[in-house]
Amino acid sequence: MYETLGIWTAAIFTLAVYSFLYKENPLYRLGEHLVVGISLGYFIVVTYTQVLKPRLIDPVVTDSQYILIVPALLGLLYITRFFPRIAWLSRYPMAFVMGTGMGFGFPRSMQSMVLKQLQATILPLYEAGMPAEVVIGNVVLVLGTLAALIYFFFSKPHKGLFFGTGSRIGIWVIMIGFGATFGFTVMGRISLLIGRIQFLLNDWLGVIQ
Amino acid sequence: MKENIWSRMLNLDRRWIFLLIGVVCTVPFFVPFGLPVLPTKNVISIFDYVETLGPENAIFVSFDFDPGTDPENMPMAVAITRHAFARNIPVFFTANAPLAQGMLEAGFTYVTNPNIAGYFHIVSWQEWAPYREQGITRRDRLQAAWEADGNVLPENASGWVFEGRDFAKLGYLPAFALVIMGMTSSIEAQYPEDMNGNPLAQMPMLQEHKNLRDVDLAATFSGSAACMWWVLYAGDTISLPIAFGVTAVSATDYTMYIQSGQLVGQMGGLRGAAEYEVLLQEAGYFEHPDRAFIGMDVQNAAHLLILFFIILGNIAYFAGGFHKKGALLKGRR
Repeated sequence: MYETLGIWTAAIFTLAVYSFLYKENPLYRLGEHLVVGISLGYFIVVTYTQVLKPRLIDPVVTDSQYILIVPALLGLLYITRFFPRIAWLSRYPMAFVMGTGMGFGFPRSMQSMVLKQLQATILPLYEAGMPAEVVIGNVVLVLGTLAALIYFFFSKPHKGLFFGTGSRIGIWVIMIGFGATFGFTVMGRISLLIGRIQFLLNDWLGVIQ
Repeated sequence: MKENIWSRMLNLDRRWIFLLIGVVCTVPFFVPFGLPVLPTKNVISIFDYVETLGPENAIFVSFDFDPGTDPENMPMAVAITRHAFARNIPVFFTANAPLAQGMLEAGFTYVTNPNIAGYFHIVSWQEWAPYREQGITRRDRLQAAWEADGNVLPENASGWVFEGRDFAKLGYLPAFALVIMGMTSSIEAQYPEDMNGNPLAQMPMLQEHKNLRDVDLAATFSGSAACMWWVLYAGDTISLPIAFGVTAVSATDYTMYIQSGQLVGQMGGLRGAAEYEVLLQEAGYFEHPDRAFIGMDVQNAAHLLILFFIILGNIAYFAGGFHKKGALLKGRR
């Protein structure tokens, strides 16, 4: 019963959202607002049942772990944003979260996203016994990376063999990258449409397997 | 500018294009082309890696996406879950956001739905408690004892999945990056109980895999940069092998992490999921591929239509003389 009701509701709102493709209308607006409202409602329920109750309320009430009140109070300071006179207090939890995030995240981001990536471009262009496709791949990767970096080097005019030709090759490399991303984006958007059509034809109407 | 066929083509009401895309994306569901989907290296590498694992190993399947990317991410997560269940690999399910937990529930329900052929039949934590009390926790012995007591696997099911032995739904916790980091020391410290309130400490799969260092793979399915948390806080920190399942939009952003050896492989968009489904079918796990494969015919048809429109638009642009300076502005309504 509830599943059927859910499927019908989802189907009607799917059609309501797609009705925007014809023109903007109140049904589309209703669907749009409901998505935001329901998502937030779901967010609050899950956060309460999964986090606040088992990790804050229950331990404080039943196990007397009063130390947990300290981070709870710190979190509550976010609400002071609504009161202009004491809004400055909300900076404390923000500073705490940002400081922790930076402290934990920065060295690891450097390691994973910069140093390891740099290391991965330091490749032998040719070694005895290396297959031809690997040699070509390595050459493209190393020269492509250098050329793309040259394009973003603005301290020298993009003229001459090194900076001029390098930046022109660089822009081609970047454009090929953008092209691949755009192609994948089209594929992604169509996939989302496919997902909704599959839902409408299978789960709702039951006309396909 | 004088109205002619070329200017009319360039000024075509976009709603006609939407309608055509809608039709082209519907017809192949009724008349499938059956075009082949050839698995690529990045997906095969994940499949091959999972093939090396068994009941003595464990993996994490992290639902790190929300309903917005469900059509792309869900088939991937479902495919790898079915693969793991078919090989009796214990799976810890996590989610990095409240809405992602809803996705976790939906994905798990799909894999264990008796109305879907090839589903996995759940044996709940309470149902197999008597066997636990007798000390029967090894996967093969547990299944043998369970079936010896007259439990028969339904005809359309692929196998049993014992809660706490084959899977644990850990769910969502806030500040998930820190949760990943914490799990490198102890999974139980982060999740004392699973989503159903069962104690993790008593679960055989946790007793054998106490932290992420004891785990053999983390597969994250994400529509955002959150998938990188697994690389940052577990992959590069404790050398936990990581596999990505990402949306097509972000697929090119993470391909470089495969070349650098930071990822086992990557499924990109619906296509990646379809490739994994094909591999599962070819390996004999399931008779038919799942939803992503069916969607690929539609994908191909839509791409052909888009190519057709691009070519047509270019013909109209050049044949109508719109490439000349200022002509396009005058020709546009």
